[in-house]
Amino acid sequence: MSDNPRFDRVLIANRGEIALRIQRACRQLGLETVAIYSDADADSRHVREADIALCIGPAAASRSYLDPDGLLLAARATGATAIHPGYGFLSENAAFADAVEAAGLTFIGPTGASIRMMGDKITAKRTMLAAGVPCVPGSDGPLPESPDDVIALAEKIGFPVIVKASGGGGGRGMRVVHLAEDLIDAVGLTSREAQQAFGNPTLYLERFMQKPRHIEIQVLCDTHGTALWLGARDCSLQRRHQKVLEEAPAPGIDPAVIAEIGERCARACRQIGYRGAGTFEFLYEDGVFAFIEMNTRVQVEHPVTEQITDIDIVAEQLRIAQGEKLAIRQEDIVFRGHAIECRLNAEDALTFLPSPGTVTRWDLPGGPGIRIDSHVVSGYTIPPYYDSLIGKIIGYGATREEAIARLRVALAEMKVEGISTNIGLHQDLLANPDVRKGGMDIHFLEKWLEERATP
Amino acid sequence: MTGPASQIPVFDPDDIARIAEMLATAGLETFELSGPDGERLFIKISQPRSLTEEQNAGPPRSQEALADTCVAVRTPYFGILSYTHPLRDAPFAPVGSRVRSGDVVALLTLETLQIPVPSPADGEVIGITAQEGELTGFGTEIMKIRPASPA
Repeated sequence: MSDNPRFDRVLIANRGEIALRIQRACRQLGLETVAIYSDADADSRHVREADIALCIGPAAASRSYLDPDGLLLAARATGATAIHPGYGFLSENAAFADAVEAAGLTFIGPTGASIRMMGDKITAKRTMLAAGVPCVPGSDGPLPESPDDVIALAEKIGFPVIVKASGGGGGRGMRVVHLAEDLIDAVGLTSREAQQAFGNPTLYLERFMQKPRHIEIQVLCDTHGTALWLGARDCSLQRRHQKVLEEAPAPGIDPAVIAEIGERCARACRQIGYRGAGTFEFLYEDGVFAFIEMNTRVQVEHPVTEQITDIDIVAEQLRIAQGEKLAIRQEDIVFRGHAIECRLNAEDALTFLPSPGTVTRWDLPGGPGIRIDSHVVSGYTIPPYYDSLIGKIIGYGATREEAIARLRVALAEMKVEGISTNIGLHQDLLANPDVRKGGMDIHFLEKWLEERATP
Repeated sequence: MTGPASQIPVFDPDDIARIAEMLATAGLETFELSGPDGERLFIKISQPRSLTEEQNAGPPRSQEALADTCVAVRTPYFGILSYTHPLRDAPFAPVGSRVRSGDVVALLTLETLQIPVPSPADGEVIGITAQEGELTGFGTEIMKIRPASPA
């Protein structure tokens, strides 16, 4: 850390595994941690291990993890001068990032202006086009008023098209249209939904890619003009737009192609003055990359990149927020081996419904190349109020095959009782010949689940 | 409050009425304003006691059971805990004192913000269970009350 750190006590405005991950990074850098928590998380591991722990509200996230005023008051009451938002909750809330900085505290993330720019999908796409980041062919702006113009535009782009809400993201506020005659109804419906869900009825149009993969580029930028790309992740295995299993590097894509797209992402970051960690998400089909959105925060799947680059992304976030220069240069970044992350959820194996409750047995696997990021301990009760992620098992190997082999042993070794988990799903996935070959598209998992459900 | 108390030289009855209306709209019960020369304005208005009464309206209990049951006073927010009003010497509700449901028994302070901690029941204070002057979290038990027997 620098001689004059901007902060020495960090408030972690999150819960679960990412709160523990942030706490570990803080500790390694000699920073004190403040764990704020809701009534439902009093027994959480990072809460018990924090330098200062403060319950700030009831289980309802709106009155705890999503309460900007409460978080700011808690920071000042505990003497924390920096806030790490983690992912989810307020991590991509531009007004919160602005409020933190206006209060004289450090927001460990990009500026509110960057978050706002990327939060509006039309602005984000325009910015990316201007910076030379490839985008899906589409309206490149809000839809025209006249229905005839909308249809003409869609025909120029080429059916099928996808109608998307400018304020949407994460799979919400979108509709696929295959035929011109269905387009105007779909536009009306999506616009009304977008108004209700995001308070913004603005829509745009893109070509609907049929069998794309989800490929994303991790970036890391300091406040001294350095922007690095940390390779690609393949997060194509998704169910209902929720990632289930992620890996790095992306199988079967020429590293030179990734390097070119990575450079473009880094250049875009320099152009917009981006700060901190971020992810450019792309659809990839037939050798074509198409930007979909940028996540202006650390992501759940960041460990697979950490494993193949040996860079601690959360620690770098903290160093960047301290105002330090990145000590890594692009030419120093070497991608070594292969890493796969299985997201562990407390959910029913068949219905995928959340399975909260008390974990009565929690036997963890180990051995070379196995990393576990989890806040769960034996006897811990998973509260029903939040998402069902209970941890991540990351398998690393010199090759993809070795990573899979290690993961399969680890998943078989892991024993969890008291709740249901998706460990079995991961075991089945890693035994599947298509998954072992790699390069699945984003519809693979849902189709496979459908087939599996039909006897 | 947005401005220093000295900007309000006298307590105009119209102002008081307006403040009372604002309290009613905001769902607040009491308002206290102290000036630099010791003048003090205290407004208490009756609000529907939805929250506190709901909490107390448990299943009917026998008188013996009630006498044995202690009610915990829990903090409705977080802040620095004080059992005494900053401008007074005596605590709000020392051990042995009688309180009524809704009475302020402690304060949580966060910078200029003061959050009253109300008693959830009528009864007698039988114990202080948190530390004065400490940063106290949401939902912390700070006091035990023996509820008054129903008349």
